[in-house]
Amino acid sequence: MRRAAAAVLCAILLVATAAPWIASNPPDLPFGDRAFAPPMRVHLHDTDGWHAPFVYRQRLVNRIDRTYVEDHTARVPLRWWTNGRLVSIDPGAGPLLWCGADALGRDLCARLVYGARLSLGVAVLGACGALLLGALLGAVAGSSGGRLDTLITTVADFVLVLPIVYLVIVLRATRPLVISPAEAFWLMTILFAFVAWPDVARGVRSIVATERTRDYAAAVRALGAGRWRVMTHLLPAAYGFLRIEFVLLIPALLAAESTLSFVGFGFGGATPSWGGLLKDGEALTAMYAAPWLLLPAAALFVVVLALQTVAGARAGVAGSVVDTTAPRR
Amino acid sequence: MTPSRMFRLALVIALVVAAVIFSRRCGAPQSEADAVPQNGGTLVATYRTEPTHFNRLVEARPMARLTALLTQATLLRVDPNTGALVPRLATEWTGTPDGLTWTVTLRRGICFSDGTAFTASDVLFTFQAIYDERVKSPLALDMRAKGQSFQLRAIDDHHIVLTFPSPFGQGLAILDSVPILPRHKLQAALDAGTFRDAWSASANLSDMAGLGPFMLQAYAPAQHLRFVRNPHFWRTDATGQKLPYLDELEVQIVPEQNAELLRLQSGTSDLTNGGARAEDLAMLRDAETAGRVTLVDVGPAIDVSTLWFNLTPGSKAVADKPWLAQEAFRRAISHAVNRQAIVDTVHLGAAAVVYGPVSPGHGDWFVPDLGATPFDLARARTLLTSLGLQDRNGDGVLDDASNRPVEFSLLTQSGHTERERTSTLVGEQLRQVGIKVNVVPMDQRVVQARYASGDYEGIYYGAQANSKDPTGSRAFWLSNGPMHFWNPNQPTAGSEWEGRIDALMLQLAETMDHAERKRQFTEAQQLLADHVPALWFAAPHVSVPMSMRVGGATPTVIQPPVLWNAEELFVLGPRR
Repeated sequence: MRRAAAAVLCAILLVATAAPWIASNPPDLPFGDRAFAPPMRVHLHDTDGWHAPFVYRQRLVNRIDRTYVEDHTARVPLRWWTNGRLVSIDPGAGPLLWCGADALGRDLCARLVYGARLSLGVAVLGACGALLLGALLGAVAGSSGGRLDTLITTVADFVLVLPIVYLVIVLRATRPLVISPAEAFWLMTILFAFVAWPDVARGVRSIVATERTRDYAAAVRALGAGRWRVMTHLLPAAYGFLRIEFVLLIPALLAAESTLSFVGFGFGGATPSWGGLLKDGEALTAMYAAPWLLLPAAALFVVVLALQTVAGARAGVAGSVVDTTAPRR
Repeated sequence: MTPSRMFRLALVIALVVAAVIFSRRCGAPQSEADAVPQNGGTLVATYRTEPTHFNRLVEARPMARLTALLTQATLLRVDPNTGALVPRLATEWTGTPDGLTWTVTLRRGICFSDGTAFTASDVLFTFQAIYDERVKSPLALDMRAKGQSFQLRAIDDHHIVLTFPSPFGQGLAILDSVPILPRHKLQAALDAGTFRDAWSASANLSDMAGLGPFMLQAYAPAQHLRFVRNPHFWRTDATGQKLPYLDELEVQIVPEQNAELLRLQSGTSDLTNGGARAEDLAMLRDAETAGRVTLVDVGPAIDVSTLWFNLTPGSKAVADKPWLAQEAFRRAISHAVNRQAIVDTVHLGAAAVVYGPVSPGHGDWFVPDLGATPFDLARARTLLTSLGLQDRNGDGVLDDASNRPVEFSLLTQSGHTERERTSTLVGEQLRQVGIKVNVVPMDQRVVQARYASGDYEGIYYGAQANSKDPTGSRAFWLSNGPMHFWNPNQPTAGSEWEGRIDALMLQLAETMDHAERKRQFTEAQQLLADHVPALWFAAPHVSVPMSMRVGGATPTVIQPPVLWNAEELFVLGPRR
């Protein structure tokens, strides 16, 4: 199971990396008469018999009801490795929409694939930053105790109670009105790490504070190990917790990315991101008449499930920390 | 089976079928057509904004207007569907031939909701409050002719004389926007200079009184406002039945449009804040077919979203990008935008192409094809080239004489799907002629703050219109108006054509003859189209959804579309 999950994660990574070749259309190009167009079906067979994979051209029947039908008058064969695209069709037959189109008639599949690059990148790096910062500060607080512990815990509590949205608005005001996707990427990554570290630190601190009272920790200290050396022996006890935190942070940060766009901190409407796509899919209409707009949620579910499977398998049981009572070498 | 058993069986089946039909008829709302208004019941409406004040004289926001509509009454009303003047607190009015002096007869024997008699002194007090400098009433600007206040005096308790200091085009229709407030409740606050604080959102509701159909009984912040029947309300229907029909009207505060729609669909609310989005129409039509909601098309909207640039002299936008201030640049954009594509994609066809702020919803004020700039990329490119904007480095983006790319930021309201999508689509369309648009969706308050401080290059946004008459949007047309988007609050008109529009709008305010008013307004529209200070693309068709329980509704394009005649609404059946 763990291997399958790891394979899924690798596949997602590969698809995101190879987005320009995999996407059949540019992600920001709106196609007229394709607003809310449903996914196109691939056919192998028609009344004339079996054929190489083909699709039918979509025809808009009712604009306000967003009714599309397949035009069965002609087959449109899939073309492989043409114009630098893995799969495409003759441009005269309209766009190839594997996953349908969004409200502006843009290729949802292309936006999903391109969006994975930015969104997963921000979420993974932000989560890693939060884990690094939280683990370091939590371990220092838990292993040293005393005033340093109080100071770090107080700072963590302070960050936790900060009204983050207002903080973001203030931070946004210090930047130019238009920020490039690259700048938005790094700003968001830093912001996520800053906002998410206190939860991690508090958890790690509790684990480390408990661990330092155990015999093996006393033995390390008795052998003359310094504070940092002791900490390196205590911190592995928090690995399970950190893995689960990582898995939980990813979807939270992906959702946060869409929230930030409300205050002008996101990637902007034309730049595809999973957070932005999720925002498009939260409309009631999406659930009712255009369920393909919920595909980003499905993709997010797959990523989280795969991450949890991998992390859970490594932690022994998903959702638990390592058994701290087990004998140690 | 014997005949007698067959007969018994048939009888049982018939009885069961009859019982089912009977129970369904009892449970289902009666149809509007055959409905007789019944007293009693509660309707639930949803509204997206929180009230900040309950006094319309000091607050112009939609919620203050709604509260005034429900709890206060005006001397007369302009019927939003017919435009006719309808008696309210005034029963009749007679004017001098020059239209300057009007003798208004007030309704006798009526009381405020606290039982205090209504007299002419309340009318005089209301105007005293409007003109009081300390009150800073948003109504004060409109209640002047050539800058002079209207003169009012009471002949007796039930007659007043209203004198316009100079010809006033809107005439008595202006009184539709003035709720008459209780002197006995607010005179002390006005004298003490605390009128602005009275009836604020945190005020004691028992201190409020009004002549409207309802009384505000409870306000729970971020939850709801509960209005109950005013037992002293003076209106009756054609059969002599006392109005309002409803016992109670609850206005729930639901900031999110999807949640608002869900409540309507699930039957927990009966009315929404306004029109439905184009993308929701298919779903609402299905719900209408299933008998859950009713959908009324009230025609094209009168508040059309606008794209404008910051053309304030000395602004950073103009200093950095002087081509923004060039008419040819804005005209090129107008030619480069495919308005029909916006109608088809953003509004799914449920909109009309417009080239100015006046839409077909404004009735005969609208002049078809005035200022039309057809979609023409070649023409757009020619205009841009004439400004010296060319792609000098082959990156697909035009460059100005200093080799800086021709790009601008466009702020828009995040969460407002129509504005976000139109901005994105316009950005994509302008890319075809080499203009780079950086669309920045932001919180509504941030957009408003940036507009107020002048810290922006372009904005795609809009303001709510409360009247079809052009004098109702003077804040937009006049160069000293706060909503003269591209260059607001000018001390004196900054250009000759803006000065001409100012003069035309002031003339229009003083002109009584409709044909002449129309000629003046058409000239103002033509001037606007000639100088392209801003751009308009599409006026959406407004479809108002309601639950099947709502009777007596006559929706209109003006806000609030259904609650404007709340006293005549009644309940058609039980809640599902």
